[in-house]
Amino acid sequence: MTTAKRLCIGVACANPISTLQCPTCLKLGKESFFCSQDCFKTSWVTFSYSPFGLALGLSPYAHYSYSPLNRRDGRRGFRKWLSTGYRLTSLKSEHKIVHKQSARKNPTLLQSLKDLTKPTPLPTDSETGIFDPFPNFPYTGSIRPAYPLSLTRKLPPSIRRPDYSEDGVPRSEQNRGSPKNITILNAEEIEGMRKVCRLAREVLDICAAAVRPGVTTDELDEIAHKACIERDSYPSPLNYVNFPKSICTSINEVICHGIPDQRKLVNGDIINLDITLYHGGFHGDLNETYYVGDKAKANPDTVRVVETSRDCLDEAIKLVKPGMLFRDPGNVIEKLAKQRNCSVVRTYIGHGINQLFHCNPNVPHYAKNKAVGVAKPGMCFTIEPMINLGTHKDTTWPDKWTSTTTDGKMSAQFEHTLLVTEDGVEVLTARFPDSPGGKTPIPGIGRNVEGGDK
Amino acid sequence: MSSDRSDADDEEPPALVSTEISLNLEGLQLSKAPITIVTGYLGAGSACETSSPCSETLLFMLIATETTLLNYILTEQHSKKIAVILNEFGNSSDIEKSLTVQRDGQQVEEWLELANGCICCSVKDMGVAAIEKLMERRGKFDYILLETTGLADPGNIAPMFWLDEGLQSTIFLDGIVTLVDAANIVRTLEDQEASSKDDETGAVVTTAHLQISHADVVVINKADLVTQEEIEVIKQRIAGMNGLARIIVTERGKVDNLGEWLLDLRAYENVGELKTPVRTRLDETISTVSLELPELEEGMLDSLDAWIRSLLWEAEVPGSSKKPGDRDSRKQPILDIHRLKGRVITKTGKVLLIQGVRETFEIFDAPDQNSAMKAEGKLVLIGRGLRDVDVKESLEWFLSRGRES
Repeated sequence: MTTAKRLCIGVACANPISTLQCPTCLKLGKESFFCSQDCFKTSWVTFSYSPFGLALGLSPYAHYSYSPLNRRDGRRGFRKWLSTGYRLTSLKSEHKIVHKQSARKNPTLLQSLKDLTKPTPLPTDSETGIFDPFPNFPYTGSIRPAYPLSLTRKLPPSIRRPDYSEDGVPRSEQNRGSPKNITILNAEEIEGMRKVCRLAREVLDICAAAVRPGVTTDELDEIAHKACIERDSYPSPLNYVNFPKSICTSINEVICHGIPDQRKLVNGDIINLDITLYHGGFHGDLNETYYVGDKAKANPDTVRVVETSRDCLDEAIKLVKPGMLFRDPGNVIEKLAKQRNCSVVRTYIGHGINQLFHCNPNVPHYAKNKAVGVAKPGMCFTIEPMINLGTHKDTTWPDKWTSTTTDGKMSAQFEHTLLVTEDGVEVLTARFPDSPGGKTPIPGIGRNVEGGDK
Repeated sequence: MSSDRSDADDEEPPALVSTEISLNLEGLQLSKAPITIVTGYLGAGSACETSSPCSETLLFMLIATETTLLNYILTEQHSKKIAVILNEFGNSSDIEKSLTVQRDGQQVEEWLELANGCICCSVKDMGVAAIEKLMERRGKFDYILLETTGLADPGNIAPMFWLDEGLQSTIFLDGIVTLVDAANIVRTLEDQEASSKDDETGAVVTTAHLQISHADVVVINKADLVTQEEIEVIKQRIAGMNGLARIIVTERGKVDNLGEWLLDLRAYENVGELKTPVRTRLDETISTVSLELPELEEGMLDSLDAWIRSLLWEAEVPGSSKKPGDRDSRKQPILDIHRLKGRVITKTGKVLLIQGVRETFEIFDAPDQNSAMKAEGKLVLIGRGLRDVDVKESLEWFLSRGRES
């Protein structure tokens, strides 16, 4: 049977534990294993800018007043805080506070309400006004959220909206039914998919052309949002399960679902732009990873992870034809990724797409999965492998969206929406001859990327 | 700044102490926690009419039978840390879920934190992720019992927890335990009104049928309220439906050697002895079919896989007697396989196991290749519509066709 390793409870520490324990905790009868004295020292006092969070024993990096999800609905956020925050205790808090908490048990409701009224200073850049809303979160790499987010973008009333656009709940997707029920589109519906996928490709290309050092992800979001409006299309991510922006922008160690904010791109970054449009009643979904500036292409590891991801998608698409089992692409993807010394993210998978943004089938990218279903002409789905330089493991920021690698190493992703045809596959979101980006040779592997290695 | 910060600066952290508990780091590794789905039928009533099996409004709806037994489990297993989850998962709109944790003889209420996340492109169900998070925070549970509401179809829930090994989850599906009420079960199984609405053939499938057909253990509770003869009839009927499940009879929710019967089932790892089911016609809807598998060449495993796919995914029984084109769809009986277990012996002597629940199935190398179980290959199917088709003939035909090609 597999076992999970026990990790040090120090803040932002992913090392395995040693035999060292905190003496105070031992007296209190609590287990608290650390990896080292240094780590313990770091965890003893961290700057705590969300004191009521700590006082309540709330997750120390959760900062509800600035959470993008609660900004629009403060009352609900407050109720949520009352119901959850009161009962949770977190190990990964300032260690000293842990002692205090166990000494005084749970705070009274009155004390909690008093704490709530106190101001919560955030480490705000005095010149730009930019701040990290979760200053105590143990980030795994160097990317930080750069708030405030821009205001929710508006759309002309004439644009047809999906069912979740008002309250964020994709009701039409909730009753997925049996996994073997996979929608087969008729000729007219297929035309609808062709159209929205072509429009999505156009928007991605426009957005990608703006990628350069110095541009913020929020500016990219605005460019994509406007390009959607020009195409009479709704940007599908906007308010999907309350996602706050129109596209996902995932930089370096961010695996997927990065929220566009005030961070400027830096020479040497890689950025994934994930675009989905809703037009004529259909969704079209694609993403690509781009090198920012000349430094990114000069780093062999960066090129290796980006190109491996691109090749994994291409290899997986070669399988697609009637009769393909949806459990099969994962075997091909994981094999190639391993050959290139990369890993495959397991948590996020490809999905059916049509009148619904996400539906059956599930298409995992890892090997030996039990995915249900066979490809048949008229089915539409995505393949979107996320490939990492280091561990495959992911963690999510307190914004509840941004997914990053747990070791802070880079992650890259490519995605197409595919249609199963009578004798093969049509890549509905295929590149145009003049699309930005494109293949870069991996150093050491040579031009022939397939079979050129090991 | 809070009062907590004011005195924080002048206090240095103490030196860590080494705890020489035999320095056994291996022992500190956490093994996976088993999760058992506990399901039971409340009986006919108003709830059936107002709620679909996935309704979120059923939160905290406790069933008398189940509660008694679960309380018994909680109080009997003093030394174990048992989490009892009192509702259903798979519902995206609820933010928090309640949970009861048994610890040191006390029951502690906990809350599961469900991440918002992208519900649809994340492979793990949010419930699974929430339980994993909770274990990270509270330490490992020895057992997790997921108590579903009376109307739940366990076939929808089990695949969520039967996770791919590649996901490296800290929990694994141990099995499904179904509680039936001795006094009501026969009436419940024949309750036309509670039968599934999408059924066009007229055969009655109640939630009780689904809960029994998916079960690895069936507990007949409150046996003290009916006669011995009645108990025998109930046992026969259940065994005829589900020939694989272990059947236990209890009085007032008490079970001897509880741990042995209800916990550590490992129903999705081992296939057990695969006993040939009793032939009864007490229940017309659900039945168990046992097929002998000849020794297969390794290359034939793909054929077997394809045959199972046809049954589970297409609800079709490939057969030589019927040509694909001339099938009359109205006459085609509904075939719905709920549970599947099997053992394959290859010509080279390798042992493989087959496990399946609803559409999801897996053929994998048996962990113990030297087992005495090696004896014979077998495939056991539980589901509806199995009475009306000759699966045996179909399998033989399909495998022989595969051999030719």
